[in-house]
Amino acid sequence: MDHQNPRPRTILETLGEEIVRIITPVSICMLLVVILVSILRGDSSSEGSSITTMATMAYTESSSDSMWDKLKGALLNSLVFVAVVTVVTFLLVLLFYLRCINFLKYYMGFSTFLVLGFMGGEISLLLIQVFSVPVDCITFAIVLFNFTVVGVLAVFLSKMAIFITQSYLVVIGMLVAYWFTLLPEWTTWVLLVAMALYDLAAVLLPGGPLRLLVELAMSRDEDIPALVYEARPIISNDAAPGGGVIQRRVWREGRGDLDENRGLRSNTRSDIASDSTPGTDLSVGIGESRRTIVDAEEGRVFRTDSELAAPLIQHRINVRMNSSEDGDNLALEGIGLASSGAIKLGLGDFIFYSVLVGRAAMYDFMTVYACYLAIIAGLGITLVLLAVYRKALPALPVSIMLGVLFYLLTRLLLEVFVVQCSMNLLMF
Amino acid sequence: MTVAAGTGYVLLALGPSLSLFIAVISQKPFLVLTLLSSTLLWLMSLIALSEIWRAFLSFKTGLLCPYALVILTSVAFQEALRLFLWRLYKRMEQILDAFADRVSKPHLFITDRMQIALAGGMGHGVAHAVFFYVSLLTPAFGPATYYVEKCPQMPFFLVSAIVALAFVTIHTFSMVIAFSGYSEGNRMDQYFAPAVHFTAGMLTLTNLASRGCVIGIPLLYGIAIITLGYCGKMVWKRLTENRGTLH
Repeated sequence: MDHQNPRPRTILETLGEEIVRIITPVSICMLLVVILVSILRGDSSSEGSSITTMATMAYTESSSDSMWDKLKGALLNSLVFVAVVTVVTFLLVLLFYLRCINFLKYYMGFSTFLVLGFMGGEISLLLIQVFSVPVDCITFAIVLFNFTVVGVLAVFLSKMAIFITQSYLVVIGMLVAYWFTLLPEWTTWVLLVAMALYDLAAVLLPGGPLRLLVELAMSRDEDIPALVYEARPIISNDAAPGGGVIQRRVWREGRGDLDENRGLRSNTRSDIASDSTPGTDLSVGIGESRRTIVDAEEGRVFRTDSELAAPLIQHRINVRMNSSEDGDNLALEGIGLASSGAIKLGLGDFIFYSVLVGRAAMYDFMTVYACYLAIIAGLGITLVLLAVYRKALPALPVSIMLGVLFYLLTRLLLEVFVVQCSMNLLMF
Repeated sequence: MTVAAGTGYVLLALGPSLSLFIAVISQKPFLVLTLLSSTLLWLMSLIALSEIWRAFLSFKTGLLCPYALVILTSVAFQEALRLFLWRLYKRMEQILDAFADRVSKPHLFITDRMQIALAGGMGHGVAHAVFFYVSLLTPAFGPATYYVEKCPQMPFFLVSAIVALAFVTIHTFSMVIAFSGYSEGNRMDQYFAPAVHFTAGMLTLTNLASRGCVIGIPLLYGIAIITLGYCGKMVWKRLTENRGTLH
C-alpha cells in the first residue's frame, strides 16, 4: 500500500467499540459461570437437594413429580420471588425519597462484603476440595479477607482503578449467578421469565418502582447508588470541536436490604452529555441457608465539568442538525461514534444472563453456545433500542426471551439432528 | 478423551480461525459484531433445517438416499441464506456510507468490504465447527475415546476435527468470493461458492461407506485448497486493479 500518504482511517476502525466493550465483560462473566458450573456440578446432578431460599419457599421440586406439578410449583415460587422483589424495590424507592442515601451506600458495601466473603469463600472451598489444592486455613482466611476488603473498597470508592472495579463487579455477578443456578430446574426457568416480565413492567409502566426511582433521581438531579458496570468511555481522537472530552458518569446508588432475597434488575443506559437518564439497578441476592441478603448495586459518578460539557453538546447539536430524517443514522450515532459517554449495564443483567447460560450448561454445551449467541443478540437489540428511544430501558426481557427460546429450540430440535449427522461424519 | 487431547482437537478445528480472529477481526470492533451476528444467523439456519428434517430422524438407516437428500436441501437452504445475507449487507453498506458522510470520513475501502465479508464467512465457519463438532466434545471427556466403525483408523474426534477444519476454511473464504462476485457481477465468482459447498457436502457422503473417509477427506481438503487459492487470486486481482483508487 501507499506509504507516503497514510491512508485515511475509515469508520470501520472505531465503529461499534462501545458495544464490544460491554459485550466483553458479559461474555467473561458467562464463561466463568459456565466453567464453575461444569467443574462443581459436573459429577453430581442432584436436582432435589437444593438450598432453601426465598425462591423455593413455596415449593421444593423433586424429580419424581409430574411435569404439571413441577410447572405449578415453579410458578408459585416465581410469584413469591417477584412479590418479594417488588416490595423491596418499593422500599428502596421510599428510602431514596426520604434521602437515606448514606444508609443505602453502607448497606451496599455490607452486602458486597457478604457476597465476596461468604459466597466467594464457599465457592473457593469447593474448588479447593475439587482440585486438592494444598493451602492452610490461616493463609486462606487472610487471602479471602484481603480480597473481600479490596472488593468492598472497589465498589465503594470512586477513585479506584477502573479495571479493578470492573473485575470485582464481574466476580460479584459470577458468584451470585452461581448461587442462582443451585435452584431446581423448572423454578430457574420460570423465575427467569418472571423476572424479565417484572423488569419490563417496573421500568416501562407509569407506576413501576424503577421508573419512579429514575424520575425521582432525575428531578433531584442526584445519582442513584447502584451496582452498575460501566464500560470505559471512548476517547474520540478526531473531529470533536472541543477536543477529546472524556465524560464519565457513574451512578452511586445504594440499596438497603431487608433480611430477604431481593431481585436484581438493571437497565442499560447510555450517557448523553447533560441530559442523562439515570438507570436504576436493583440488586438482589440469593440467601444461603442463613437467609442473608446480598445487595449488589453500586455505581460511581463523576460530575462533569460544565465548561467541558459545552463543546460536546455543541458537537452533538451540529451532528444532529446535519443528519437526515433517516432513523437508521440516528441509531448509529447513539451507539457508536458520537457519544462519549459510556454504556452502563446493571449487575442484575449480568447475573440473570449468566444464570441462563449456567442452567443451559447443566444440560449440554450445545445449548450454552446457542443461548450465548441469543443473549448477545438480545443485548445488541436492546442497545439499538436504547439509542433510538434514549431513555432507561430494561435490559432483561429481550435477551431472556431469546435465550429461553433458543434453549428450547436447541434442546428439542437441533441437537438430535446435528448429532445424528455428525456421528455419521456427514457435514455441510 | 483427556483434557489435553480435547484441547488439541479443538485447536485443530478452530486454530486457524483463532489466529485469524486475533490478527484481523479483534482489531476492529465492528468485525467482531459482524462475526457474532453471522454465527447467530447460521445457527438459526441450522435450527430451521433441523425442524424441517425432524421426521427424518426417526429412520436411522445407513442408506444413501435420505442422507443425500438432507445434504442437498440443507446446502440449497444455506446458499439461499447467503443471497439474503448479501442483500442485508448491501443495505448495511449504504447505512455505513451515509454515516461516514455525516462524520466526514471516507467511504468504505475495498479492503474494508472484504474484511466484513471475511468476518461474515468466519461466522459461518465458526458456527459449523462449534455446532457440528465442538459441542460433541464436551460430553466425551473422561477416560475413553470413541471410534466410528466406518472409519476406524483414527478416533472419531480426530477425524471430525479434520473435516471441521476443511469446512471452516471453505466457509470462511467462499463468503469473500461470493460477496466479491455479487458486488462485481462476476458470474464465475457467484457460482463458485454454491458449487464448492455442494461438492463438499456431497463428498462427506463417502464417509457413509466403510473406509470411505480415506478417499473423502483428502478430496475435501483438495476442495478447501482450491477455495483458498481461488480466493487469494481473486483478492490479489481486485487489489492490484484498484491500486489507484481505494474504493
